[in-house]
Amino acid sequence: MKKSYLDYILRNRLPVTIFVAIAAFALTYFASSAERDGVGYTPDQPINYSHRLHAGDMKIDCQYCHIGVEKSHHAIVPAVSTCMNCHTVARKDRPEIIKLTEYYVENKPLQWKRIHKVPDFAYFNHSVHVNKGIDCVSCHGEIKQMEKVGQMQSFTMNSCLNCHRDAHNRLPYLEKVKDGPENCWACHR
Amino acid sequence: MQLKGINQERRMAEDQNILNNPDPNYWQSFEEFYKSPDFLKTHEDEFKEGVTENFDSSGMSSFSRRKFLALLGASAALAGTACSDYRDKGEIIPYNKMPEEITPGKANYYASTCTCCADACGLLIKTREGRPIKLDGNPDHPVTKGKICAQGHASIMNLYDPDRLKNPKKKNEGRFFEYNWKSANDEIIVDLMNIGDKEIAIVTHKIISPTTKKILDEFVSKYPTSKIYSYEVFDNSARNSAWKKCYPANEANGAGEFPAIKWNDAKIILSLDGDFLGESHNLVENARLFAEGRDVVNKKFNRLYVVEGNLTITGMNADYRMRLRSDLHLNFLLSLIDALNKKGANIPISSGGLTLEKFANENKLDKQELASLVSDLWRNRGKSIVYAGSHLPEDVHIAVNLLNHSLGNNILYNSDSVPVSMIPLSSTSDFEKLISSMNSGKVAVAIHINSNPVYHLSHDLGYSEALKKVKNVISLVELENETSELSNYVLPINNQLESWGDAKTRTGFYSLQQPVISPLYDSRQTENIFLTWISGNSASYSESSYHQYLMNNWEKNIYSSLNSRLEFKRFWYNSLHDGVVYSNDKISLPDSFNFESSDHIRPAPISKNFTLQIKESYALGDGRFANNGWLQELPHPVTKIVWDNCASISPTTANELGLKSNDLVEISNGKNSLKIPVFIQPGSSDNFITIESGYGRRNGVTVGTVIGFDATDLLKTSGGLSPWLYTDVQLKKVEGEYKLVTAQTVYAFNEGLTADLPNKRGIIREGTVEQYLKNPDFYRTDKKHEPESVNPDITYTGLKWGMSIDMNKCLGCSECVIACNVENNIPVVGKEQTDKGREMHWIRIDRYYSGTPEDPKVSNQVMVCQHCDHAPCENVCPVVATTHSSEGLNQMVYNRCVGTRYCSNNCPYKVRRFNYFNFRDHFKDSYQESPVFALLHNPEVTVRSRGVMEKCTFCIQRISEARSDATREKRDLKGSDVKTACQEACITNAIQFGDINNKDEEFYSYRNNELGYYVLEELNVRPNVTYIARLRNTSTEKA
Repeated sequence: MKKSYLDYILRNRLPVTIFVAIAAFALTYFASSAERDGVGYTPDQPINYSHRLHAGDMKIDCQYCHIGVEKSHHAIVPAVSTCMNCHTVARKDRPEIIKLTEYYVENKPLQWKRIHKVPDFAYFNHSVHVNKGIDCVSCHGEIKQMEKVGQMQSFTMNSCLNCHRDAHNRLPYLEKVKDGPENCWACHR
Repeated sequence: MQLKGINQERRMAEDQNILNNPDPNYWQSFEEFYKSPDFLKTHEDEFKEGVTENFDSSGMSSFSRRKFLALLGASAALAGTACSDYRDKGEIIPYNKMPEEITPGKANYYASTCTCCADACGLLIKTREGRPIKLDGNPDHPVTKGKICAQGHASIMNLYDPDRLKNPKKKNEGRFFEYNWKSANDEIIVDLMNIGDKEIAIVTHKIISPTTKKILDEFVSKYPTSKIYSYEVFDNSARNSAWKKCYPANEANGAGEFPAIKWNDAKIILSLDGDFLGESHNLVENARLFAEGRDVVNKKFNRLYVVEGNLTITGMNADYRMRLRSDLHLNFLLSLIDALNKKGANIPISSGGLTLEKFANENKLDKQELASLVSDLWRNRGKSIVYAGSHLPEDVHIAVNLLNHSLGNNILYNSDSVPVSMIPLSSTSDFEKLISSMNSGKVAVAIHINSNPVYHLSHDLGYSEALKKVKNVISLVELENETSELSNYVLPINNQLESWGDAKTRTGFYSLQQPVISPLYDSRQTENIFLTWISGNSASYSESSYHQYLMNNWEKNIYSSLNSRLEFKRFWYNSLHDGVVYSNDKISLPDSFNFESSDHIRPAPISKNFTLQIKESYALGDGRFANNGWLQELPHPVTKIVWDNCASISPTTANELGLKSNDLVEISNGKNSLKIPVFIQPGSSDNFITIESGYGRRNGVTVGTVIGFDATDLLKTSGGLSPWLYTDVQLKKVEGEYKLVTAQTVYAFNEGLTADLPNKRGIIREGTVEQYLKNPDFYRTDKKHEPESVNPDITYTGLKWGMSIDMNKCLGCSECVIACNVENNIPVVGKEQTDKGREMHWIRIDRYYSGTPEDPKVSNQVMVCQHCDHAPCENVCPVVATTHSSEGLNQMVYNRCVGTRYCSNNCPYKVRRFNYFNFRDHFKDSYQESPVFALLHNPEVTVRSRGVMEKCTFCIQRISEARSDATREKRDLKGSDVKTACQEACITNAIQFGDINNKDEEFYSYRNNELGYYVLEELNVRPNVTYIARLRNTSTEKA
């Protein structure tokens, strides 16, 4: 009796348990990979700014605010003073604009939640990518339709390399695009 | 050092062998030269014994492994329960109001002027997001042409020095208390107003700014009992007073200073103990012009004769070098003049019975070399120059001026840009008078403007004692020092990068200084403090007062004299942009020589005892850079000693006295004495001691306090040949040793099969100009068998980076080392760590001696990562952390590195550096981890942490930036778009960088130079750094 019970455990229950454990892990691992990479991360911002309204409906050029994107590593989150170029007159009565004006007048730092981030040891450069003709959408998604911005693509080394190795297919709108560099010092130094 | 333990006969036989052996035997230290068994044992291995041991737990973080694990467990449990938002990536905080000129991520450059010393070199300051991160030379500056010295490069660290004084301080009952500006100024103004007939003494370094001079003049007219005392510890006084005596006519029109020399036009240069390539006076221009005359590409070669007491940078670069004690230079000069007179030179000075032959016999100088010197000087009249060291007595300078004048060499004096001075420097007798009036109570207020006379002035004067009799002592300083300690008020002043100013050092132009950052602390600019005192009302201060004053002064006094067509505001902004304003003031140099000036010169008596020279420290200057870790850790260009000074003596003298390096000795100069370790310096003359000053600061704050030994203890006010040169000095051995650490023999070569490696394996290749002109390929031997490489052959068709180093131009000055430190965030590791072989410099200068220890020849070699095509380091990395790029770069990836150090073990050039600690945390109680220090870092370069390997990257951050600029401008990246930090810093342009494959670039001619070779070529690692072999321009008589 005792022997057959042990037998039963070894033959049936153990493999089943192991299988369930591995399957559960694997399933969660793959199902959550996007989430772990930050895809879909859409935090609340201190000011309820809408890209759909500004960039989409009103068709303000991305570079009106993100002035660094062609010149610098950083695309640059615009200074409060940039918003105030319009909002000293436009929609002054809206609660979000009143909040914004407060920041401006009181000279308070406006702490936007960061959405996209590559690790410290990777030196990503916006200007090189944009000047090669790569559209913002290719990495950031359809920003113009986002009420609230979230991360659309994963920003792992793997996703960078996928495009660097296969630029032609990934960026079909660029006819002459060449593959990106794959050497370490292209990003790490 | 095991000199005693070695059989005397064997050594003599070896010495004989060396003399007979035509192959120069390269050696780096005496231990190597005498093949000391200890030394050989130590250097059998790549890493020094104990390099991985002896991690002193007290110096390490108190965070033990057990504690770490406990905390790890606890924090994991906490994290599990708290379940914080793991996706949170922090915040992005933009500017509230965007400054117009700043694009985050892009550097801005501003022109300014360096005020670290009285040379006032032009600066180009790189700032990122409003903070300066790197200093370079201003290319538009007419004297320095885009270059600055090592101290200038390192001085960026002074701005972010955590030790800087942050508030005014007042002394109360012997202790300092934090104070405020208003009360301090109020109290000082009351003291100044009620001065009566007592003196106000202002002690300052050399004044180079016309506007500062004007403010001081106004101060003197407001408080008429004020007197200004300006001093430099190492000044040109002997040379200048000789100049005035030789050319008296020109004092009237202002040219009272020895002019600059057009070294580039000189075919023959004779330097008598004159370290013009190593001393601070006009160093940048001297080195640049000198190197113009050593050009292998255009086949232009000058010839440098150096007669000197101790080996200097200039001596290392000599074609002919002779050893001669500094007190004998007058006699040498008189003998030389006698020899020239025999050729028909007719120089009107009596040699006092000295002849060159007799002198050569007495002092064991090489007669053949002397004969070639005499005939070179005679044949190249008007194309040669004789130059004497600033520490030599006035008579030597008079004789030198006479010699130059008689040979027609005075046309090499630069008459286009003549040195001018604002306020003449005070003499020793001025200071003696000041101190006696202090002692008799006639001085009521003493103001020190960023000067440190308590440390600098000879203790014989008794300045610190006299200061106690002064009622109110005020020090205006950046860092506390020995003088501020004795003051009643210590007022913090702005760093040079926070200051406005102007400078006038030469005719023909002015330089402007502008701040690039607001004052970090509650400090004020010196001139502004004086303006407050002049106004007599502490409330009159505003941060912009001096800025306004400077502009007003320029508008009224300088702008009006320039006949500019621009209106003043535009003129001013343009001038600030350029950093330099050209003016048409001219001073003509005189051509009538006062021959009476040399009538009194007689041969000097020869002293039997030791002669002592006190020399300015190459790294620390007069001690003002003592708190700068980068400069303390810079290996001395000659001795390679770090973090110390020493008494250099010759090997012969050491043998006679039974001394070895590190032995403590007591040196007595009259009644003054100093205990200091000796260092046996090859090439030093016998019975001669050289000590660098600037060390031994009693209050040099965190880094600089009690580092080395204070040579000021030996200074005398009288009795020396000059303030820096003393005869009749005693030296005696005392008990004890003191360890000097050199950064040189860390990587040395072994006994047996591998002996004499530098020569045999072609690490150093040299020849003479004559050999080269006869056969450009003279040094190439038949190609030996090349080992098979495990690396596949890859043809690089596109851009491929390479560097070339011209050893004819490399002076060994080490500017590149400091520039690299600043650019690449290299930490300071400290003396003990350097001793263990854990220094972190990515670029080093190997100094090889060859020949005899008494009269060695010196070869310098810059060593950086060679970025080999077949890199041996890459094959052995178990985690592929070091790989090759498609542009020929050997890449090191920190986030992959696990710290096996295999790569370093397999590197034939020993250029890889391992972070045995987080050195920022490890050095001086995390001194480099202070928040303000982080502002110093280059944001484009990773700050490496413990456990990773690092090495020269060919400034990959600069390559990346150039590439992004090229992409933006829709063009291809060219080799000439990139300049590495070391290349930019190199005064003589010895370092070139560019694209190996581009035939149209200037770099191509260096890469493929006839004299180019690779170090350790036989290993078939295919380096991308080309060395251009050094040629010595020795004359035909002695090929």
